[in-house]
Amino acid sequence: MDLRGIERIVKEALSVSRKVLVEPDAKEVLKLASFQVPASRVVKDVSGAIEAAREIGFPVALKLISPDIIHKSDAGGVFLNVMDEKEIEEKWSGMILGMADDYPTAIIEGFLVEEMVGSGAEVIVGCLRDPQFGPVVMFGIGGVTVELMKDVSFRLAPITREEAFEMMAEVKGFPILTGFRGKTIKDLDAIADALIKLGEIMARVDGIKELEINPLIVHERGAVVADARAILE
Amino acid sequence: MQKRHDLTAFFSPSSIALVGASPSAGKISGIILENLRNSFKGAIYPVNPHYNEVMGLRCHPSIEAIGSPVDLAVYALGAESVPEAILNTGGNAAGAVVVSGGFAEAGPKGVLLEKALKDAARSTGIRVIGPNCLGIYDAVTGLDTFFVPRDRVRRPGRGTLSIISQSGSFAATAIDELATDGIGVARVVSYGNKSDVDEADCLDFLAEDPETKAVAIYVESIEDGRRFVESAARCSAIKPVMAVKVGKSASGISAARSHTGAIAGSYEIYRAAFRKAGIIELNGYEDFLVACKAFGLTSGAAGKRVMIITDGGGMGVNVADECIAAGLTVPPLPEELIEELSAAFPPYFTTGNPLDLTGSATDESFAFALSKTMSGDYYDMVIVAALWGPPALTDNLPGMLAQKPGFNEKPIIACTPGGAYSRERIRLFHEAGLPAFLTPEAAVTAACVLSKRQGRR
Repeated sequence: MDLRGIERIVKEALSVSRKVLVEPDAKEVLKLASFQVPASRVVKDVSGAIEAAREIGFPVALKLISPDIIHKSDAGGVFLNVMDEKEIEEKWSGMILGMADDYPTAIIEGFLVEEMVGSGAEVIVGCLRDPQFGPVVMFGIGGVTVELMKDVSFRLAPITREEAFEMMAEVKGFPILTGFRGKTIKDLDAIADALIKLGEIMARVDGIKELEINPLIVHERGAVVADARAILE
Repeated sequence: MQKRHDLTAFFSPSSIALVGASPSAGKISGIILENLRNSFKGAIYPVNPHYNEVMGLRCHPSIEAIGSPVDLAVYALGAESVPEAILNTGGNAAGAVVVSGGFAEAGPKGVLLEKALKDAARSTGIRVIGPNCLGIYDAVTGLDTFFVPRDRVRRPGRGTLSIISQSGSFAATAIDELATDGIGVARVVSYGNKSDVDEADCLDFLAEDPETKAVAIYVESIEDGRRFVESAARCSAIKPVMAVKVGKSASGISAARSHTGAIAGSYEIYRAAFRKAGIIELNGYEDFLVACKAFGLTSGAAGKRVMIITDGGGMGVNVADECIAAGLTVPPLPEELIEELSAAFPPYFTTGNPLDLTGSATDESFAFALSKTMSGDYYDMVIVAALWGPPALTDNLPGMLAQKPGFNEKPIIACTPGGAYSRERIRLFHEAGLPAFLTPEAAVTAACVLSKRQGRR
């Protein structure tokens, strides 16, 4: 884990009074902690997006980068499985117009063009710094309904591998990861790694208040960070 | 500077000064003095410049005037007089209990007073419990600063359970119930605003206290979370520690911007902390009392396997349902036991788990069933659901069960639902040293709490 690299990203963001790390920065942090992150490029405009997509290879994900929009998909800032150049143009202008209507004051820093992540089980792994108890890690069966279902478990960080597995086994949706209804068994070790590493980042790097991967897409082998954010303090 | 957790002065004092002593029995200081005279074995020095004598004891104008330092000084004064009184005590007391309210809990002026109190304690080196607390009820030394009259709030006899509580009224109510139920305690500390001594200090002391075999905690808020977890983990490695946390609905991280922050209420974080510390989590007042009775009278179970012995089939099934809902197991009787029990019992007894001795139950049949089922490695604990209708049952039953024929370590939990006659029997079980409960739900909560030690007794 490249702790100094992570510290540098956080410090730079704080030095320009940032309150969040936007997705590419948060993913850079996770990459330095050897998480698996999809290939991506940050672009400024639609022609850059098309060029990036050609390079990465279709289909791609097209995402808005804005420090003011935390839940991008709710805000219409995420398009997945964009198939070709024409669709990029369509989705891009749709996104720009939607933002202008719904979030006229949001700063748009650019766009993220990203390799699509193959399907798998979606989980959320998060960490926050509690003023009394310090870093706390959370595990849950992911997706956008996580706040509704609250099917999650918590541990004080840093955690052991045993605790990471306990956290997984505690949630009701656990069978989704272990072959429920003919699904394949997912890589629980990769989830445990993610939980342990998030706790470690929080315990060893100052300045991060919340750090969250949602979703972490878990395959039979490995797990990929599909989206991530960090709140700074 | 003393060792951070050296609270010896509070728990084995040989002399106590009561600052603010008053001859009027209805006042806080009057109640404390009367309680001390009732149970405290050491020297008691009333301190108040306005009196020469209080309740037949010589009253001193100051602690210094006593002539030799005291172990403990109890301050029952108006908040505004306390900081100066502690400064004046100087090196003449090792510990102070400040029962007075009117400090940080009472607004900005009180916050300043509490700061002055802290400064006074620091400069004199006196350790302080309180303010805004009931202080200590200690069944080992007879120390009792709880300013609630004994005819209204009874004091438990000597036992092995210690309680630490942020709330004085919670502690007082709980010990009143335990006393009424015949359950003893060791040390009870109401620490109030914890201007100095906090829950972590108490845990550090209780971990090493040979009188304490189990610790129950009531908390509203914890400031130094990591230190609490460290102290509690050290203590729980030695003896069971259980806790109830109130104020559960308090929202967590204000203005959280991630899902994690939005979901993590403060209670979830407390739960995570309890887990890290090996603390058994309790849900509210009823659970707290059940757990106090369970660990006050018996030790933990090595696992989750419950045997149920009853003389009322329906109640037995009810207990079994509750066990399973609570995550315990009710494994069937092994073949060899069925054979043995069937040979010994009349055919209309149901030899299974639950084991139903029916209305023909006797003290002896209960004891026999207990000895056979609990002596092998089939079960980790037993719930005896004794209904008192069968006329052959006598008041000897609790004592017979408590002998634990053929086994030692496994806990026996009694459950005796029913009206007046059955309720009076609960005391018999407690006197025999067995925790007993009125409802299957409470008995199963007890079983559940005991199972959470899992191998660590």
